[in-house]
Amino acid sequence: MADTRQIRAGKGPVTYALRTFVILYLAVLVVWPLWEVGSRTFAPLERGAESGIGPFLERLQDPTVTYAFGLTATCAFWAVLINTVFGVGISLLLTRYRFPGRRLLSVLVDIPMSVSPVVVGLALVLAYSSGQGWFGGALESAGIFIIGTTPGMIMATAFVSLPLVIREVVPVLEEIGTDAELAASSLGANGWQTFRRITLPSIKWAVVYGVVLSLARSLGEFGAVKIVSPGAELRGETATILIQNRYTNFEEPTAYAAAFVLVLASVLALVVVSLIRKEDRS
Amino acid sequence: MSIEVRGVGKRYGDFVALDDINVSLPTGQLTALLGPSGGGKSTLLRIIAGLESADTGTVDIEGVDATTLPPQKRNVGFVFQHYAVFKHMSVAKNVAFGLEIRKRPKAEVKAKVAELLELVHLSQFAHRLPSQLSGGQRQRLALARALAVEPSVLLLDEPFGALDAKVRKELRDWLRRLHDEVHVTTVFVTHDQEEALEVADEIVVINEGRIEQIGSPDQLYDEPANDFVMGFLGAVTRLGPLVLRPHDIEVAVAPGVPGSSAGVVQRALRVGFEVRLTVDVEGQDEQVLVVLSRAHARALDLELGSKVWLSPTTGATTVPALAVPREAVASA
Amino acid sequence: MTDTLVAPPGPARTTSRPSGLFRLTPTSGIGLGVALVWFSILVLLPLAAVVGAAAAGGWGAFWNTLTDAQTFAALRLTVLEAAGVTVVNAVIGTVVAWVLVRDHFFGKRILDVVIDIPFALPTIVAGLVLLSLYGPESPVGINIVNTRQGIFLALLFVTLPFVVRTVQPVLIELDADVEEAAASLGASRLTTFRRIILPSLVPAITAGSSLGFARAISEFGSLVLISGNTPYQTEVASLKILKFIEGDNQAGAAAVAVLLLLVAIVTIVGLDLLSRRVANRG
Repeated sequence: MADTRQIRAGKGPVTYALRTFVILYLAVLVVWPLWEVGSRTFAPLERGAESGIGPFLERLQDPTVTYAFGLTATCAFWAVLINTVFGVGISLLLTRYRFPGRRLLSVLVDIPMSVSPVVVGLALVLAYSSGQGWFGGALESAGIFIIGTTPGMIMATAFVSLPLVIREVVPVLEEIGTDAELAASSLGANGWQTFRRITLPSIKWAVVYGVVLSLARSLGEFGAVKIVSPGAELRGETATILIQNRYTNFEEPTAYAAAFVLVLASVLALVVVSLIRKEDRS
Repeated sequence: MSIEVRGVGKRYGDFVALDDINVSLPTGQLTALLGPSGGGKSTLLRIIAGLESADTGTVDIEGVDATTLPPQKRNVGFVFQHYAVFKHMSVAKNVAFGLEIRKRPKAEVKAKVAELLELVHLSQFAHRLPSQLSGGQRQRLALARALAVEPSVLLLDEPFGALDAKVRKELRDWLRRLHDEVHVTTVFVTHDQEEALEVADEIVVINEGRIEQIGSPDQLYDEPANDFVMGFLGAVTRLGPLVLRPHDIEVAVAPGVPGSSAGVVQRALRVGFEVRLTVDVEGQDEQVLVVLSRAHARALDLELGSKVWLSPTTGATTVPALAVPREAVASA
Repeated sequence: MTDTLVAPPGPARTTSRPSGLFRLTPTSGIGLGVALVWFSILVLLPLAAVVGAAAAGGWGAFWNTLTDAQTFAALRLTVLEAAGVTVVNAVIGTVVAWVLVRDHFFGKRILDVVIDIPFALPTIVAGLVLLSLYGPESPVGINIVNTRQGIFLALLFVTLPFVVRTVQPVLIELDADVEEAAASLGASRLTTFRRIILPSLVPAITAGSSLGFARAISEFGSLVLISGNTPYQTEVASLKILKFIEGDNQAGAAAVAVLLLLVAIVTIVGLDLLSRRVANRG
């Protein structure tokens, strides 16, 4: 290890000062607030009331809350499914085929990550709302409604998490190169067999990694979904919208309970991701 | 003829990779495509395998027009420079891949895999992953995998290029013996003339997208078609209007041989059993390189500044020097 | 690994070969078509609709929207806050990365995970997390709701990982030899850092900062609960868009959205070019 060398090993007062500063900074900015959320989630509602896990679960069993989590799960499931199929397909096209506009496409697919979620919501409304959208009228006459419905919310979710699978898979595809795939085809494998038996096993972990990242992003999406959703209780209210609505309606305990579930999901995603990284390296 | 290439051309933008290539390779022969890097030999091999498509021309394999066939329909075995082993499969699974794709019965696959692993001396590694093998072992695995499907031709792209010198030499001998055993039509690409001369039945020299010469190793060495082929097979030097090998020059300390060129020894370098002279010849800008045995040099009593007369030995292989000397002719 | 790959004597392939890309086959051609149609429906057409809506009223209307005193104040606040956060992150992010790479102490691994939490948390939850400690019922007596400091804190939270995660790998890869050489030439540790280490970190810091800036400009979810949305005081661009949408002023929303898109793209492209120049100079 290079960093055990003499020149880097010395520890002066600066080292300790920087270390203390970083620990304090992260504690004040991240750790303490997170701790506070946890303690509020399990705090008694009022002096003398029951505290702990019981009331927490009770709040989560409220039908509006279960509806919100169900809707979030539905949107996330479809968005992740679409993004995985689309992402793996686009990644293969970008790394394996030559066609006009390939470079442009590889830049374009990265855009959704840098667009503000509000702008994403607005864009979908301006394109597909039956009132003002470019294609709203045509879709309405065909009996299709996107804005204010679950498909619209799935689209908003898919939009914001679109590049995540591609970002993970493209570098791996580039790194493994085409030799093994060409070898498979010279051994008689057709395109699907080559993909199934040679390419997919090599990009397996990258795909799983991308899926976990997409899932985490999709479960937590707020801005874009809020704008295309009716956002009312039992009508388009996802978990994140529920947190906002309950917090602003002074039902903080429910807001904290729902938030705590999402925090757990994020931490779980982090753990899974770090496990995959380890697995991938070995 | 096992492989018949007619009028094949290939361009990448402005770059001409192959220009009107015609070559036919008989069944059972071990052929080397020899030439400098970027000369087009790998491209030709990949076109034969169907991994690249030619812009013009046709490729026949075993009498079938294969020009538009995809690689999986050509029944060609291809071995890549960097092995292209399937990293997630065991050694045995790698070898079995082509047979499983062809849906052969399990027992037959098993027997064939065992036979091939025996052939490439990898039987004891059957259940290992490729990452546990050395470079040479991986290349043998790649060979076994390609041979498993009983291809009508076996194509190897710089098969030993990524290996270190010692392993390379071993595998080279081993490939020759393997070919004598299996007798499958084999084409391999190399930029190492020693490798080609040692292993191949026939050598196709390719440079700048064109075939310079086709012939047996002896023909190439004794009757090079031009100064490029001669220069590519070993050190050459120019003496007057001729290009020839430095050891094919007769050195005399007195004029006598008609047509000999007078010169002065500028440098004498003793390397092992030979002495390398650099000679300034009158009427020639380029210095002449001469190699002679140590005993011979001592007998002539040569030292710096000695006046010498140079002429080609009788029976020397020579080709005419072009007006503009090619890079390869520069004194080695 | 037992094998050492000895590089072949020359380039084995012609350099002009376009890195092993294939021509489109019928199957991959259909795949490309399907992918492009979906990508257009999901991303390109909606974004075009935003630009279209902004341009519908002509240049004058667009300009009037943006120079409206209240909108302009929101835009100015957004840019200033984002710039301030970017500067703080450039410094503190580098310090955090330094401590995580060069220092060794108990609990460092935990800090490493803490860095990722702001990325993993849903934005609305990030806002709630900060409010639980620094909100109306703050146990430490600080209330950031509806203050510019609150917006600053929220942006610091959500952009924390950018600089840290781009600088960290560069710092790990940095060669100890160079530092030893500098020390042997008589440079103090500070001089070594300033003259030797920092210049090689600049491209990474710039890259991380640009990503953080773009994110801060477009941030929405974490600000919803914290910013009180008071015009001229705490109203930021993304919330202004929401207000326009809710007030059924699509053109106004689109005008601000186009500006956000533009700022994000210009920032990313501009800072990317800058970092390339720095890299070339090094």
